[in-house]
Amino acid sequence: MIRFEQVGKRYSNGHVGLHEISFRVPRGEIMFVTGHSGAGKSTLLRLILAMERPTSGKLLLGGQDVSRISTAQIPFLRRQIGVVFQNHQLLDDRSVFENVALPMQILGLPKADIAYRVEAALDRVNLKEKAEDRPSDLSTGQQQRVGIARAVVHRPALLLADEPTGNLDPRLASEIMSVFEDINRLGTTVLIASHDLALIARMRHRMITLQRGRIIADREENA
Amino acid sequence: MSANDLPRGDEEGTPQRNTRERPDDNEHQDHSASLSAYAENHRASLMDSLHRLVSHPFGSFFTCLVMGITLSLPMGLSLLLGNVERLGGSWQRAAQISLFLDLKASEAQGQDLREQIEKMPDVIEAQLISRDDALKELQEQSGLGEALKELPDNPLPAVISVTPKQIDKAQLDALRQRLSELPGVQQAQLDLVWVERLSAILKLGDRFVFGLTLLLVLTLLLVIGNTIRLHIENRRNEIEVIKLVGGTDGYVRRPFLYMGALYGLGAGILSWALLAFGLDWLNSSVVNLAGLYGSDFGLAGVPVDDGLSLTVGAVLLGWIGAWLAVARHLRELAPR
Repeated sequence: MIRFEQVGKRYSNGHVGLHEISFRVPRGEIMFVTGHSGAGKSTLLRLILAMERPTSGKLLLGGQDVSRISTAQIPFLRRQIGVVFQNHQLLDDRSVFENVALPMQILGLPKADIAYRVEAALDRVNLKEKAEDRPSDLSTGQQQRVGIARAVVHRPALLLADEPTGNLDPRLASEIMSVFEDINRLGTTVLIASHDLALIARMRHRMITLQRGRIIADREENA
Repeated sequence: MSANDLPRGDEEGTPQRNTRERPDDNEHQDHSASLSAYAENHRASLMDSLHRLVSHPFGSFFTCLVMGITLSLPMGLSLLLGNVERLGGSWQRAAQISLFLDLKASEAQGQDLREQIEKMPDVIEAQLISRDDALKELQEQSGLGEALKELPDNPLPAVISVTPKQIDKAQLDALRQRLSELPGVQQAQLDLVWVERLSAILKLGDRFVFGLTLLLVLTLLLVIGNTIRLHIENRRNEIEVIKLVGGTDGYVRRPFLYMGALYGLGAGILSWALLAFGLDWLNSSVVNLAGLYGSDFGLAGVPVDDGLSLTVGAVLLGWIGAWLAVARHLRELAPR
């Protein structure tokens, strides 16, 4: 599903985000990327989303070379990826329903399909009754669940999450991680960047550890 | 929460451009649904833009008013010039060619010649002033009526006043030359200096209106561009999210284009109203003034087709201004 082949990222100021790293994430896997701040976790996700271009190597996503994708193709690449952010990135001037519907409106799906899928997605994260609320009326945990519903509503092949539990207490963080596992069980490849080692340790999934832009550990299953 | 209820990922795990999954739909239905969704998308963008304008009524109104005033200046000047032209009669009349006929020519010959001239393709009309009429007119206008009555013979020739279609100097000169060669014509006179002055005044007026229009169109584009730029700044976060979840530049641009067009529509309608009101307000004074000169002249209002052109032009300008503003700022709107 995801293949990094000697992917490096060097910024114009000389800072190296990633040092020619290589790894593969098979389809349907759930994987954690961990490391301290500045280790390169966010850079890695930004490269997959084509928010940045690698300065060397090859990044393949489902066979498509993301490192050489044209600017015009980037939106179509992103439509295949669901993204969950630490700060949720919800739009406060829209209702929960409208926030979740956004990716499907962009896809140009019929109104009836959108309504059906949004309701289903909100139901799955137990927020159906909050559909007409504004995100600012919800708790942090609920906001994150809205973010997850928005990320998966259009049935992406890949789900990326950047520090999705960063602002949550341990109980809510575990709950959110369970949601990711549920999504993964249905076949979606999930890649989660997190520095919460205690939480990751409780989950039996593959984990790669980054340090200063290098992979220093790649454990198939952390026990 | 049941895992089985969650939305499913792509079975092959390979990114594809189209993520729609309606296996029981046939192709025709899919196209029809896509078209309907596309139209719905545009409708939603239009309604969203309209809602945003209406939710800030004062700001929106004053932006439209500034644009409307800017638009009404060149249009108002153009309408006033049209009215002045109407006041002075047709400009062509100022470029009449006077043909002085032979003293021996009879009135019947004069009529024949007039008819012949009127059939010419570059002549609007020809009017015969007989020798008697010319004398009568001179008696009335010169104040020498009694003295002229003492003359043994009428010394004035018959005159044919020719109104040309064009007021171009070269064409008028050529026409004058042709008319002077007609049998029975003693002399053909054309006040070319006046024609040249008139032509120069007209050209100056046209050029002034054109220059002013260009300048004000540029001003309008700047006004709309700046307004849209502020809207973009206010929605930066939303735009970044839209781009992150796969929105194309076209999708991002669309609501701003509708917003620009709506500003233009408001400005066009306000401009039309301002011109109609302004001309009506001026008209009462003009009618009074004209009445003092024994004329029933009054200013014409804004013709419907001119008003419609003004409104459509304003909508287009709004759309273009918004497009330029979004195109300029789209590069800066990459998700961070």
